[in-house]
Amino acid sequence: MTTLTTTPDGSAARRSAPPASPAPAGRRPRQGGTVLAVPALVWYLVFMVGPLLAIFVIAALHWPGMLQPVSFAGLDNVRTVLDDPVFWDAVRNTAVQLAVAVPVMIVCAFMLGYYVAQRPPGHRVIRYLLFIPGLISTPAKAMVFYAALSPDGLLNGGLESVGLGSLADAWLASPSTALACLIALDIWAGIGFTAVLFAARLGSVPDELGEAAQLDGAGHWRTMWSVHFPVVRDYVGVVTMLQFLWTLFGSAQHVLLLTQGGPGTSSTTLSFLVYQKAFIAADLGYSQTVGVLLFLAGLVGLLTIRRVFRQNY
Amino acid sequence: MKLGKRWLPAHILVWTYAVLLVVPLYYFLASAFKSNDEIFAHPFAPPTSLGFGNFRTAFESADLGLAVVNSALVTLFSLALTLLLAIPAAFALARSTGRLAGVVEKVFSLGFLIPTFAALFPTFLLAAATGLFHTRIFMVLFLPATALPLSVVILVQFMRTIPPEMEEAARLDGASTFAVLRHVYTPMCLPGIATVLLLNFLTFWNEYLYSLVIIGPDPAQRTVQVALPTLKSITGTDYGVLTAGTVLTLVPVWLVYTLLQKRMQQALVSGAVKM
Repeated sequence: MTTLTTTPDGSAARRSAPPASPAPAGRRPRQGGTVLAVPALVWYLVFMVGPLLAIFVIAALHWPGMLQPVSFAGLDNVRTVLDDPVFWDAVRNTAVQLAVAVPVMIVCAFMLGYYVAQRPPGHRVIRYLLFIPGLISTPAKAMVFYAALSPDGLLNGGLESVGLGSLADAWLASPSTALACLIALDIWAGIGFTAVLFAARLGSVPDELGEAAQLDGAGHWRTMWSVHFPVVRDYVGVVTMLQFLWTLFGSAQHVLLLTQGGPGTSSTTLSFLVYQKAFIAADLGYSQTVGVLLFLAGLVGLLTIRRVFRQNY
Repeated sequence: MKLGKRWLPAHILVWTYAVLLVVPLYYFLASAFKSNDEIFAHPFAPPTSLGFGNFRTAFESADLGLAVVNSALVTLFSLALTLLLAIPAAFALARSTGRLAGVVEKVFSLGFLIPTFAALFPTFLLAAATGLFHTRIFMVLFLPATALPLSVVILVQFMRTIPPEMEEAARLDGASTFAVLRHVYTPMCLPGIATVLLLNFLTFWNEYLYSLVIIGPDPAQRTVQVALPTLKSITGTDYGVLTAGTVLTLVPVWLVYTLLQKRMQQALVSGAVKM
């Protein structure tokens, strides 16, 4: 986390570049043992970095299925993807998902974190509960939403019992609400855990700062946004980046478990498209081309968020 | 700071969200002991009897017992391998002053930014190429790699706080590098090791997508997170069985969380950077 915050000015590219001379400097490490880092490094390169680089290779291949012959395609896949209306549907859905879920999550979580950090009555209970979404696995969260939103689930039952049965819907199977359900899941699960992070960070802001603002006649609303927020601005940026990446890449699992991208393409997100083209449609070059685009989108998003939240006092 | 009357809306909103977090869990716990008819008639009523019929059905129809064992095996072995790789690496990086070590540490900390999902398909190819496709072994080898960046960075932070005099004293007694690691560094960074274990326990136990793609649907091999969603299709809309199965997968996590609440919360906050 510190690597993200220590150089608010530098670009990610500059930080990742190794120092000018790659050879170890003349100083001997303290009494040997550096070789002990080798197994972990090899493991990491083989299982994480290798597969990541492979995406870029596969994206340039024409590969219509696991057992089919492979040929070099160059940029053909990019052209196919960009001409495919399904891809553009996925782009639109992902854009909507990010534009709604991330800001709502971050703003609500920040206010909730501020609330908890003031230690109001019952804050221990709240804190215990806020961790719940961080503990539950994705399939279990999906089961919760399935039980709540399926045609004979909790929500429809609730609506009928208060006489609003006409509003009941097959929420997950209706083109107009499927994506909204996925966004609701992101927000429901995201706020709690993010709030805990903010509460922990806000807890280390000196109390005097808030008290001084109060003496000057500022209410909690003003104190929260114009005293505390600027102090933890860079931390908010880091958490926003993480939630952005989480939402961008993590949606594949929720879509797979709840809507399968349907009805039609109404809830197909970019990361689900990567999964679907690889494991259901077996169009591997296409899938990994979307993977590359997704990766680039992630990178651009990260740099943009860094810039927006740059510490400016 | 005092919280005045104007905080009433805030209290209401916060507690509404808290209720939204608790109600589904209560609903799942209550429904696990009820039949479908009871669930539809009185969704929020406490169960009238504590029969384990639903749990038995969930166990039998989705082979959940076996799945729990598989999950436990994958989690345990992955945790062991993670420590086996991360502790020596952190030891080396924390003590070394060389430039190479600095680069290696950078490489690990940049790993935070690689979302594991991105490389799903190439990892699947790697599993096929190594002949470990459809095995739990590949997951045991693969999961520690995803956990290494965070684990190494956390452990390095802990090991940097150990004063060099400790090592010098051990060296005077004739200790080898390995003995220093084993008898000085490892015991002194046990809190760090506990943090790494707790965080990765959660990640490994809850892992879904890779387990689904690589271990596959074979009931003899699959983990509990893969078995759980199959209850939806097997039982149709038998919510009692569905909720019983879900509750079952949450029990280990819940136990650990409640027993080690403080430490778990610290671990989660310090490990927020994981994907």
